[in-house]
This record gives sequence, structure tokens and C-alpha cells, in this order.
Amino acid sequence: MMLLWEGLIQGLLGVWTIARVVIPLMIVLEIAQANGLLQRLNRVLAKLFRWIGLSEEGAFPVVVAIFFGLTFGSGVIISYLEEGKVTEQETRIIGVFIALCHALVEDTAIFMAVGVPIVFLLVPRLAAAYVCCWGLSRVLQWRVQNSPAVNQNT
Amino acid sequence: MALRVDMGMVKDGAQKGLKSTIELAKIVVPTTIVVTILRASGLLDIVSGLCASFMSLFGLSGDAALVLISGYLVNLYAATGVIVALQLPLRETTILAVMLGFAHSLLIEIMISKRAGSRISVILPLRVGASLLAGMILGGLL
Repeated sequence: MMLLWEGLIQGLLGVWTIARVVIPLMIVLEIAQANGLLQRLNRVLAKLFRWIGLSEEGAFPVVVAIFFGLTFGSGVIISYLEEGKVTEQETRIIGVFIALCHALVEDTAIFMAVGVPIVFLLVPRLAAAYVCCWGLSRVLQWRVQNSPAVNQNT
Repeated sequence: MALRVDMGMVKDGAQKGLKSTIELAKIVVPTTIVVTILRASGLLDIVSGLCASFMSLFGLSGDAALVLISGYLVNLYAATGVIVALQLPLRETTILAVMLGFAHSLLIEIMISKRAGSRISVILPLRVGASLLAGMILGGLL
């Protein structure tokens, strides 16, 4: 019985630790969304995304995923891709980026709550996603440039 | 530009936060209870011993295997619950946080990636690979 109590109290402490960070963040995120800050940010970041082969349309699902995560953002992301606003190449780049790097607000908050410095939470994921997508975009571009020649030869 | 803020937004945000907190409590509380029992029963020491050599690749103790497994399969809240229950040192928590950042909630998120037009055979190895690689690099550095 003592064990159950100990576990319960530790659990509730853990919940409190995380909740006091996550709840204020959700409020900030809601305000950002209601003000259309995401669209604005997307325009500012457009150049960074162009380097990894994403147009402004293609970058928007990535920005949504970065801020809202896959679960909360999935509705927006999936419908956006299904509407056909992005090319097939972009879909693949978006897929890799959001797999490695999403929910940076929530995930970062969870681990900051238990004391992990913020650099460790943001830099590796952003850098890995960016580098992987840059490589992928080069490969896809190379393939597009070379495929007509292949077709002509055969 | 002027930032528009009204009570509706604050209320919506707070509600979402509260909803997350309830979801979080449903996962974290049972997790810490299970971990506390595992630890007291000595079962954790056995699992920990079995995983110790693998976890040492990432500079982690055997106990940390439980954090990785719960993060990969359930979610980050479960993993954090285990971290709190095990009272892991900050160094190990940091390594685990980076590893779990790349790969977590895999059962659910892989399906979302698939629906968003990605191939599971690409996304799953990519995420787990990035996670293990990051662990090895960070384990060596910290």
C-alpha cells in the first residue's frame, strides 16, 4: 500500500511539473494562431525553406508541425497535402522534416520541465531535419534533371 | 503589427492545456506507480542488468532502457514519468531527451506520417537511426 502511495505522489508531482510549463505554452500558442502569426512566420522563413526545396506552400505544413506537433497538427497537415497544393517531391521532403522535427514547443517544454537545457532540445532536431532534407532535395533535383535524358535514350 | 489578445483565446488555450494535463495524468500516474513497484520488487534491477551493456553505448545506465522503451512505444509523457520515478541524473536525462526527441510515440506517429504520404520503411529507420546515432554522439561528448 505504501508503494502505491509513493508511486501516486511521484506521479502527481510529475504531472504538476509538466503542466505548469505546458498550460501557459498552450495559451501562448493559441494567441499566436488566432493572430495568424504562423503564416507571417512562414513568409519570413520562406528563404530558408527554399534552400531545401520547399515553396511557401510546401513550407506551411512544416511550420504547423514544428509548432503544433504531428498529433495536434495532423488534421491541417494531411488535408493540406491531400489538396494537392504541393508537389510529390515536396511531400517527400516535408515527410522527412516533420518526422525528425515536430512539436518543438510541447516536446521542448516537457524536457525543460525536468531540467534539460533548451539548446539540447532544439538544435539537434532542427539541424538533423534541415541537413537530411537538404540532401534529399539535392537527390530529388538530380533525378528530375536526369530522368528526361534517360527516357530519350531508351 | 498589433497583437490581438482576448479572453476567448486565453480560455481556449487554457482548456487545451488542461485537456493535455488530464491526458498526461492518465499516463504519468500509472507509469510512476508501475515503476515504483518494479523498483521495489527487484524486477527493475534484473531488466536493468540485461540492458546495461547496450545502454552503455549511449553512456547511459541500464535503468534508462525503461525510459527509452516507454518513450519509443508510448510517448514523451510516459518517458518523463519514468525519469521522475527513477530520479535519473541530469546528464542521463539530457542524453535521453535528445534521443527521444528524434523518436517517440512511434506507434501513433508512424501512422500519421504514412497518412501524410511518407513510407514507413523510410520514416521508421530514419527516426530510430537518428535517435541511436544522437545517443552515441552525445553519450561520448557529455
